[in-house]
Amino acid sequence: MSVRRGLTSQAEITHELNLECGVVVVGSGAGGATVAAELAEAGVDVIVLEEGGYHPTGSFTAETGRALRTLYRDGGGGMAIGRPSVLFAEGRCVGGSTVVNGGMSWRTPPRVLDRWAEQEGVLAISEEDLDPYFARAESLHSVGLQDPETIGRDSELFKAGADAKGWNIVPNRRNQLHCAGTNSCTTGCPTGAKRSMLVTSVPRALSLGARLFADCRVDRVTRSGAAVTGVTGHVVRPGGRKGPAITVRARTVIVAGGAIQTPSLLMRSGLRSASGQLGRNLSLHPNAMVTAFFDEDVTGWHGVHQAFQIREFAGEGLLLTAVNLSPTMLAGILPAYGRELGALMADYNRIVTAGPLVTDTGTGRVRNVPGVGPQVFYSLADRDAVRVVRGVELTAEALFAAGARRVLLPFAGAPEVRSPGELRRLLARPVSRRSLQLYSIHLMGTARMSEDPRRGVTDSFGEFHGAGGLFVTDASLFPGPIGINPMETVVALALRNAQRLIERRDRLGF
Amino acid sequence: MTAAPEDDPRLSAVIRLAARRFAEAVCPPEVRAGNRTERVLREFGLMLAALPPAARKALATALILLDQGARVYPPSRGRRFARLDDRTAEAYIRALLGRHDAAAEMVQRLKSVVTMCYYDLPEVQREIGYDPAPYIAAVSRRRLETYGPQIRAGEAAATEELPEPGEP
Repeated sequence: MSVRRGLTSQAEITHELNLECGVVVVGSGAGGATVAAELAEAGVDVIVLEEGGYHPTGSFTAETGRALRTLYRDGGGGMAIGRPSVLFAEGRCVGGSTVVNGGMSWRTPPRVLDRWAEQEGVLAISEEDLDPYFARAESLHSVGLQDPETIGRDSELFKAGADAKGWNIVPNRRNQLHCAGTNSCTTGCPTGAKRSMLVTSVPRALSLGARLFADCRVDRVTRSGAAVTGVTGHVVRPGGRKGPAITVRARTVIVAGGAIQTPSLLMRSGLRSASGQLGRNLSLHPNAMVTAFFDEDVTGWHGVHQAFQIREFAGEGLLLTAVNLSPTMLAGILPAYGRELGALMADYNRIVTAGPLVTDTGTGRVRNVPGVGPQVFYSLADRDAVRVVRGVELTAEALFAAGARRVLLPFAGAPEVRSPGELRRLLARPVSRRSLQLYSIHLMGTARMSEDPRRGVTDSFGEFHGAGGLFVTDASLFPGPIGINPMETVVALALRNAQRLIERRDRLGF
Repeated sequence: MTAAPEDDPRLSAVIRLAARRFAEAVCPPEVRAGNRTERVLREFGLMLAALPPAARKALATALILLDQGARVYPPSRGRRFARLDDRTAEAYIRALLGRHDAAAEMVQRLKSVVTMCYYDLPEVQREIGYDPAPYIAAVSRRRLETYGPQIRAGEAAATEELPEPGEP
């Protein structure tokens, strides 16, 4: 099936566009592509606008720099300002972040769903309610366990360390169809084995009649009174230059730009939430990276990106994972430069990188800063800082148990550590919060759902409180952090919310 | 697997001079081999171009401040960073990074971007034993040989219920 049918890129748009449809979807990632395909299947006239470009599977290579510039927003260098600041990455391409994520596909933990129901009054959100949507998401994206021959030595060592400690470690469930283990998840899967939106819901939506415009940035949601009337935007030319204007008229607008871009778009469209929560409540699962050096050849890039998760400390809000980084990415995070950096990197094939992902309790905020655009601010809570340090310590312990000879910790100025004893002695002293080097790829919560308009930005099914015909369907909806990779939750909610839209299509007028 | 060539970005002369010296200071000494520094600067220019205008301006300004700030670093004896000898340039960078303030954070960020550009060079990657293309080709072939029928069935299953355009 050709993805080109129904797809228009910037080079094909030479003059101003005025379009009309039943539903316009902003964004083509896990939420946007899913809802577009479901609506198209129900016969709805759907237009999807995607700010990023269309990059087919055949164009993907392991060139990290190129991927950062073409598949990620801002070269992958987003920064949430705070003490410490947190670097984050967002996908910006047809298929969204699913094109560049690690492909982990887990259901939302039931305790999280229970909390959303109890604290926010979210309807139809129990494990039983969502089960059919999770099942469909897993079927659409071939979710399953990795074939054994694709598990790399870095993952084996990580598991050996967890086993030696007697910790619970589980194989990752991933959206993949016999993944080859190329370790290219974050630069775009070169085989199409990772079942991202680019190779599943996007072509499905297009085949069902949806139209997708790549390289088109939405500037505003337009309204007449309290009801939305569509969106306006412009074509993005190479180098970010502004191209012709685009206007789409539609009585239903679905915003799925992710937890940073969605609130930014809604705020610059003049929308306000009575809850005061639009753009607030940002969670980002801060994570940190421990770099361990082994005597043996690990060659961590031979094998799947991420094969296991240590779940032993899930009750504390800690997941531990091993993730191989390309030389480009590793050089960017190592606490060294010059000759010292060269010496560390010379051992690249003997390195395992791993670290904790923290279910955070602190929150951040997205604000539109004039002349700058969306700016993210995040305050790491004291107890989260303590958990980051504990997660780093546990990760290092597992790596030592697996045979690591020395480890580098993600704390600015920390010395190299050569034994578990040294690790304990070092971490017996407080670690400065500001010295933590943190990263995030899970951004959530900035348009949270709640049945109570005083607490949430949208209702239980993503409809914006106070704006008729306006919906959100991405991780912005999460009332809080979910403590697990968020993609499957986004897809399941999109499937559920699409069904609700279809049931109400007469009232919504599409 | 091919990708379209990217436009060659242009760094201003001032930025270029400071960035060159910075790359020589934070990358391993082998950056001076062949025309690697030039290629790091090209990569750096491409990365700057990928940033939003405000961030691009911030990093460019940081480079200029780093360059001119060296004049008040006593061992530099009034010289700008681009004119420092290797030892003084290295000591200056070390002093900045040791400050644990906003300036240190910006230099750290610059260092990350520039060293990423260096380790994105294919021959540098090969020197440390990273050469993914042949590996990717081999395991991709193995995947198709081992699971070809299941892969084709799985891909078809995702779209099998779809009507062709024009069909009712």
